[in-house]
Amino acid sequence: MSENPFKIIRPADRPPETLRKDVMGSVRLMMLMMRFMQLFVADWSATVFENVRVLKPVRDTNDPEQPTDP
Amino acid sequence: MFKSKVRKTRELNDEELVRQLQQQMDAELFGVLYDRYVERVYQKCMALAGDRDLAKDLAHDVFLKVFANLSKFDHRSKFGTWLYRVTYNYCLDHLRKDKKVRKEDLDERVQGEVPDRDANEEALLSLRAERLSAVLDAMDARDKAVLLMKYQDEMSIQDMCMVLELGESAVKMRMLRARERAVDTYQQLYGERP
Repeated sequence: MSENPFKIIRPADRPPETLRKDVMGSVRLMMLMMRFMQLFVADWSATVFENVRVLKPVRDTNDPEQPTDP
Repeated sequence: MFKSKVRKTRELNDEELVRQLQQQMDAELFGVLYDRYVERVYQKCMALAGDRDLAKDLAHDVFLKVFANLSKFDHRSKFGTWLYRVTYNYCLDHLRKDKKVRKEDLDERVQGEVPDRDANEEALLSLRAERLSAVLDAMDARDKAVLLMKYQDEMSIQDMCMVLELGESAVKMRMLRARERAVDTYQQLYGERP
């Protein structure tokens, strides 16, 4: 039997070297913000994430069925 | 002292690490989780987005989202499954912007028993890799993700239910439809049935 082609096309790319530095830098920034916001904001985790994410949020007002993040 | 702390934390399993992080946020501790999962998360983002720069940004945001929401992880599933769910949802939310995700189909409503396997499955598994890759690139990201979960990551139906937040029959129906659309896409691209 031939090999599963889905396995053959699995991406083998290594994550970029800079990604760890970027993520850990953002995590430290988030921790600082969290400590501050815990004092004043109810949903501080969402507020902090919105301020540190790279990609801007998608807002499609015509589509009420967007996948929801946990 | 610092090195011995990191070495000690590296010996903890995912659940123990997450419990410690839930008690106290710690960047070094989170770095251990990052190192364990970065390759899987990045490659999943790459598989869904098909673009290195976008995959890097997606992976960055996925890890931040996980960090920000660790306190909400309830340990009912494995941490890896929960992380997969965050990755999947975040990627699809962003691919939606590029119109690579179609809206939910009404024909995905479950009617009766859904078969686990069909002729389309055999057809897809017998495709040449480069043709399969072209078919998946041309497909809606939601269908592509379901096919990758099943045939590339070999996820169980239970884990797929958790990731997709659907019942078992609905997951099977979505897979059935995704296989049908993959075969249709192949026909459009190559002018023949696989």
